[in-house]
Amino acid sequence: MIMAFDEAFDVLVIGGGHAGCEAASASARLGATTALLTLNLDLIGQMSCNPAIGGIAKGHLVREIDALGGIMGRVIDRTGIQFRLLNRSRGPAVQSPRAQADRALYRLEMRKTLENTPNLSLRQGMVVDLLTPNNKVRGVVMQDGRRIGAKAVVIAAGTFLNGLIHTGRRTYGAGRAGEPASLELAETLKRLGLPVGRLKTGTPPRLDGRTIDWDLFQSQQADERPVAFSFSTDKIEQPQIDCYIGYTTSRVHEAIRKNLHESPLYSGQIKGVGPRYCPSIEDKVVKFAEKDRHQLFLEPEGHDTNEVYLNGFSTSLPAGLQQELVRMIPGLESANIIRPGYAIEYDYVDPRELGPDLQVRRIAGLFHAGQINGTTGYEEAGCQGLLAGINAARLVQGHTRFALRREESYIGVLVDDLITQGVDEPYRIFTSRAEYRLAFRHDNADERLSKYGREVGLVGDGEWERFNKRRDRIAKIKSALRTTRIRQSDAAYLALAEKIGLNGVESITLEDLAKRAGVTSVIISQLLPAETRAGGSLEEIESALADNLYSGYIRSQENVIHRLHGHDTLPIPIGLDFRTVNGLSHEMAERLERAKPVTFGAARRIPGLTPAALVTLLVNVNVGV
Amino acid sequence: MDTIVAVSTPPGRSAIAVVRLSGAESLEILRALVRQEEFAPEPNRVVLKSLLINDDVLDQCLVTYFRAPHSFTGEDMVEISCHGSPVVLRQLIDLIQSYDARLAEPGEFTLRSCRNGKMNLSQAEAIRDLISAQTRAAAVQATRQLRGELAEALEPSKHELVRVIVVLESAIEFVEDDLPSVQLDEIRKTLQRLVVDLSRLADTYKAGHLLRDGIRVAIVGRPNVGKSSLFNKLLGFERAIVTDVAGTTRDSLTESISLQGIPVSLTDTAGFREAGDKIEAIGIERTRRAMADADLLVLVLDGSCSLQDEDQEILKAAGEQAFVVAINKTDLPQLANMNDHLNGAKVVHVSALTDEGIPELTAAILEPFGSLDSDSVGLLITDSRHHDLLARAKISLEGAARSMDQAAGEEIVLADLHNALRFLGAITGETTSEQILGEIFSTFCIGK
Repeated sequence: MIMAFDEAFDVLVIGGGHAGCEAASASARLGATTALLTLNLDLIGQMSCNPAIGGIAKGHLVREIDALGGIMGRVIDRTGIQFRLLNRSRGPAVQSPRAQADRALYRLEMRKTLENTPNLSLRQGMVVDLLTPNNKVRGVVMQDGRRIGAKAVVIAAGTFLNGLIHTGRRTYGAGRAGEPASLELAETLKRLGLPVGRLKTGTPPRLDGRTIDWDLFQSQQADERPVAFSFSTDKIEQPQIDCYIGYTTSRVHEAIRKNLHESPLYSGQIKGVGPRYCPSIEDKVVKFAEKDRHQLFLEPEGHDTNEVYLNGFSTSLPAGLQQELVRMIPGLESANIIRPGYAIEYDYVDPRELGPDLQVRRIAGLFHAGQINGTTGYEEAGCQGLLAGINAARLVQGHTRFALRREESYIGVLVDDLITQGVDEPYRIFTSRAEYRLAFRHDNADERLSKYGREVGLVGDGEWERFNKRRDRIAKIKSALRTTRIRQSDAAYLALAEKIGLNGVESITLEDLAKRAGVTSVIISQLLPAETRAGGSLEEIESALADNLYSGYIRSQENVIHRLHGHDTLPIPIGLDFRTVNGLSHEMAERLERAKPVTFGAARRIPGLTPAALVTLLVNVNVGV
Repeated sequence: MDTIVAVSTPPGRSAIAVVRLSGAESLEILRALVRQEEFAPEPNRVVLKSLLINDDVLDQCLVTYFRAPHSFTGEDMVEISCHGSPVVLRQLIDLIQSYDARLAEPGEFTLRSCRNGKMNLSQAEAIRDLISAQTRAAAVQATRQLRGELAEALEPSKHELVRVIVVLESAIEFVEDDLPSVQLDEIRKTLQRLVVDLSRLADTYKAGHLLRDGIRVAIVGRPNVGKSSLFNKLLGFERAIVTDVAGTTRDSLTESISLQGIPVSLTDTAGFREAGDKIEAIGIERTRRAMADADLLVLVLDGSCSLQDEDQEILKAAGEQAFVVAINKTDLPQLANMNDHLNGAKVVHVSALTDEGIPELTAAILEPFGSLDSDSVGLLITDSRHHDLLARAKISLEGAARSMDQAAGEEIVLADLHNALRFLGAITGETTSEQILGEIFSTFCIGK
């Protein structure tokens, strides 16, 4: 079949959200001619929900994106207006950066970044069809009739696929409030035979900041020493603002309960499954009826706007009722809603259709990233976009696929979970999803992943040199921690003994000293030899200490996992028809067939797969094939 | 899956023998055997049928058809109860093999059952134990495990462990949520309780493995004190040759017996003395080995003579091992002072000739192993793998408690708690992170 195209690129990215931006940037920077197709050029990099990046485990993802050469970390570092390191009082492995963004600045900075990327073109318009003769991607058709050729297509359409907004009993098709839904593309995916399901998410109302009685809320300040997301950021330049914490009251809860019949969630109108960890206020009030208050965060949306995001009050109740409920909250008695909250249902494609490169197995050159795979969150979307963009370019250039293992990164955990287990609700990353949580720190993402970013070609010479220097400094610090001893004859000994009690030990290395309760990184830094201290920042000293703190635990954990799950890395032949495996029950074969695990580890984590089925598989595949 | 066949009853002549078939062709083969193409037996129903070979009746048999998946292996199965003549059985098996079935490998029926999800690994292990159970008490334990009692017994501990994990995980993951503060003291107490519970269960292995594998008892002593006579007495029949010639027993001899329901592997040994010839030297070397392998020694002395140097030597050789002294030949005049040399060891006076003291000896042999004999004993761990997993789970929990005492971070405490959960999961089935998250979301109101 000869196809006539108005334009042709190596790679097309459908969607200009967080997945689409990473995908387009990565693909173009790897040398593939790339076009980003978006419904509205002015809304590239739009934060559809809360104006924040990061959070526990999510912050890790952003730092991993950055270590691999992605762009999200740099953009938020330039536009973040409240940086906080979460879990600062807890262990380094579970600390994670979070930053609230100036929503408009973030969007503009992202667009500027893409516009300055060589090989990358931006095109406005709606994709209505995919051209996939013989299950191979050839291009797309736009709503205005343009045909654009491509060897690979990344779909990152977010909530736009067959999007349906609910407020109260009213519903209307939309991708986000005020933007059209993408209906034809959703139909195309079904026509291609991809298994499509429905998910739901929601967003809270935005308030006019001038109508809020701020004194009735408790302020929450930014960190004095902001931790950046990008390893190449030296300084956070944006002035930092405060956020505010408040609470709902039982009066609000009663009013919600009385009006539940107005909620599309409880009337049965919404069929899609919503995330349990991001419940609407209706859900909170119903499922945790015993709580007499729920926490709210007032998050200013930027330096140059009065708009305030009412975090914690996601709702799909009718807009008029939302206004009444908001005014029952102490401090919001005269607050005006400027954008009502809403719930949105959208299509997703079962991610078990994908390989570890995020390519749809049955259609060569088609990649999915972000909410289309059943995930939620900007960071989850961003890392998938990065992976899909890298692989789309590599496919076009004839390189092998690039994948990350779950043993080395949160991105690897996320992708492995998606493609082996599928999703029942919008998937969010958590630290507890990772077996090797202690090894995955936000501050060692570069140590774990920069080498891959370099190999792939996204980490430039400057960043690579920066990384190597940092790594060398940390190595020097570690060596100094091992060799520097504090002796009874040292002046520092007495002060230390008074502070933490040394029980009269003759001498102690800094490494051992650091493991004692009450010894902070600041104390250690003061005890390091002057030349070591001068060479490294406090963050680098903390990284070195964290490596030491966890090394023993990580080893013992590896032993346990190896002992119990020693078969995990054994491959399962690709293309194996599980229905032909002797002795597997029909149900077990179906579960395996849907997940198509490529290793025993992946098979083990398939929900509902019995130990007996695993043994059967092990016996058959090992002996029989 | 091909169809397998085996004689399921022990070899040899018997009134009835059972032949089992498993696999898709089972029913077809049965139809061929009874020469009725339309034969459609009701599943699980016993019917009387003539099996034919070359138009002659081979045997009149009771046949039962089990339809997949409602059978032991989960496949179509046929059981044939025929008369237990080795000749008939051989002909029948040959005939069945000619109809496209093959002889089953050892344990293959159980393996198929396992593959088809009819039982889990620990149940399969229990079946193996049940088949090889030598005594009733061992069989009772195997049956309990078969019913999944171990997994069931661990369920409450596992549940408590998950509760602790949920609280600590929530504190890490949902720092911005308005969660109740973590009650460290409560968690400490829970961990202590779990350690105690798991230790208790793990400790039953000592008794459990003896139940499964039997107690190894060696009868030792210098020549001609009556070891072989005692051996025969405990056995209940004349197994060892007994003469009054010293050194008659030249090689160790082992037999399995049941003492009050406990399997005991009893070894008669060559008399302990300066070897007279090469054969005797080898025999005595074997005695030493049998002593080293034994869980308990029965040290036989001759009550009618004074204590000899050789007796003293054996007492010394017994060293730290558990032993019972049997002073034999109470039917002869006794020397009174023997006990003075035995340092308070457990002593029983017996006569292999008159049976005097034999019940007391039996009791003395079993005493160090506690009460294993009745069905009233709780669940015992009989499998070394289970014991190992429980012990490791316990060590992980202790590690977690230690980390808490040292004020380590939640993530470090959790590393050990997750390890403990993995070890328990290897017995009971895995707890996925998704299940833990589910537990978190149903416990706490999470999410901004």
